[in-house]
Amino acid sequence: MNEHIEGVELSSLIDGALDAAARARAAAHLSACAPCRAELESLRAFKRLAADAPRRALPADLALRLERRHVAAPPWALLTRPRVWAPAGALAAAALAAALWLRSTQAPAELPLEPLVAAHEAAAGQTLTPEPVLVASADADSAALLADDGAGGSAE
Amino acid sequence: MDAQTFAGLIARAGDKAYNFAFRLSGNEQDARDLVQEAFSRALEHAESYDSTRPFDSWLLRILHNVFLDAMRRHAHSRTVSLDAPSPAEDASWADLLPETAESAHDGMARRESLDLLQRALERLPAPFKAAVALCDVEGLSYEEISAVMGVPVGTVRSRIHQGRVLLRRAYEALETNRGTMS
Ligand SMILES: [Zn+2]
Repeated sequence: MNEHIEGVELSSLIDGALDAAARARAAAHLSACAPCRAELESLRAFKRLAADAPRRALPADLALRLERRHVAAPPWALLTRPRVWAPAGALAAAALAAALWLRSTQAPAELPLEPLVAAHEAAAGQTLTPEPVLVASADADSAALLADDGAGGSAE
Repeated sequence: MDAQTFAGLIARAGDKAYNFAFRLSGNEQDARDLVQEAFSRALEHAESYDSTRPFDSWLLRILHNVFLDAMRRHAHSRTVSLDAPSPAEDASWADLLPETAESAHDGMARRESLDLLQRALERLPAPFKAAVALCDVEGLSYEEISAVMGVPVGTVRSRIHQGRVLLRRAYEALETNRGTMS
């Protein structure tokens, strides 16, 4: 019988990181070698255990703190941009935008965190429709939108 | 990078960054600090971000660097020898669970296993811990991990394997320790 499979080779096999030839060699050896199979299963068990660890989401208050610290632009900078949300993946962004919008409309300086957190969470369940009046017409995004509308209208 | 873009990026990459930070540091406060510092640096160096590549990986790379810097600063307090005795608080949760490995599908045992795993992970030296976390927890490919850690794929490959072996050793040591304490 040929030599046992190196450990690093077994780990790569588990991770799907072996090329076809190496995989075939490993499979041939494993089919005939119980110790290597046992080692493979042991390593795989640890990979699974690590993968099963519950994921930690960014705490809402930290998300808001990051946004407060880094999104230094004045509120109108956000409100004058048309927000056209992509259908998928935009909910969390919408939540943040809702928080920003709330801040800009309700809060002068230091806003209590609760309404923001509430908005942050509430917005996760709904899409945010921008008020047309808040949407300025002069930036690139809206120009693109207008161009689309125009194309539709000019077809006659 | 404008404000709206940044808000969107927080929303998109924040969870992943925080989860990775938590795996690296093993506690909430350090994970928070890592994430905050990573976002700060990301914004400072926004111009070096290549927008044709995933923002996630770029942020994880920065976060990993932040972590390495922090490790260097707290070298002594952070590095725990693999055969060091478990902390005293082990005694408190040791008696929560009367039996071990057999009942792996039992929810309680599973939670205990995951708890042990997190503790074992914390004991790994940084390069192995990061490699294992990125591979097994975040599900990144070896190539992606190579980009995040800034080392060749061959190095990633051996770190992941050695990391897994060390993880197993640390896990088993913790498990044995728990057994003797109950
Ligand atoms: Zn063998």
